[in-house]
Amino acid sequence: MVAAKKHVPIVKKHKTSFNRHQSDRFDRVGASWRKPKGIDGRVRRRFRGTIRMPKIGYGSNKKTRFLTPSGHKAFLVNNVKDLELLLMHNRTHAAEIASSVSSRKRIDIISRAKQIGVKVTNAKAKVTTEV
Amino acid sequence: MAAALPNISSDLVWEIVRNNNSYLHKTGAASNGGIQLSRDPLNLTNKNSRKYAGFVNDKAVGISAGEKGGVVVVSKKAAAVHQPAKSVATTTIGGGKSTRKTYKAIASQVAKSGYRADLREAAVERASAIRKSQLPVKADPEPKLRGKKALKAASAGES
Repeated sequence: MVAAKKHVPIVKKHKTSFNRHQSDRFDRVGASWRKPKGIDGRVRRRFRGTIRMPKIGYGSNKKTRFLTPSGHKAFLVNNVKDLELLLMHNRTHAAEIASSVSSRKRIDIISRAKQIGVKVTNAKAKVTTEV
Repeated sequence: MAAALPNISSDLVWEIVRNNNSYLHKTGAASNGGIQLSRDPLNLTNKNSRKYAGFVNDKAVGISAGEKGGVVVVSKKAAAVHQPAKSVATTTIGGGKSTRKTYKAIASQVAKSGYRADLREAAVERASAIRKSQLPVKADPEPKLRGKKALKAASAGES
């Protein structure tokens, strides 16, 4: 496996997910973000002590966007043929084996990845046997 | 002159097929920014770009792994671009040759003869990656046990 190319430090400006206002208080209010629209909304008016609303300023640096902590970008792979595409990109992209791939084929993919120096993000999934 | 003048320029072909061709492998923009790679055997970097698109350019180089080690260099014959069956010249560089000599041979074939000087670096890089992939794979080091498992292993070793 080859280490990733050097990159500027990854900064996450807001690490927790933005949950919908009052989704913590009511079961019927789901967590996925909805912008408060009410005339009196405290969150909408950005009162002190209320939750933060997502906005474009929280976006990641373009250079580090999609990067995993290892510095690679994930590239979904279904078979060995897909993996071969990463031969010249093993310092920027890591293979991620699709969830529908069987453990038998995963072994082929992982062994080939080792040969061409490609990191596999989920190399242990479905292959490891419980001790 | 027997071969008719080609009436379709590679620039036109590229404009037509750049967004949709059989070699193209697109990925979702939401997962990694949407990298677009190419499976073209005549593409040295697997990038979907005008420079590396081997099926579009009149002159192109492809490097793949040889069956018995070594690398296989394919290049397009500019005179026979419109006859795909005849358009590829294959050179095999065996695995017995040192890597330096391999790169030298590739560099002189690709660049020195004035074929595609802009592809020299990419060609050598690809040959290098392939030769590297043909080395025997090192076994993973035994994982160091930590925490409770380490204690268990230590006590099992004592008794």
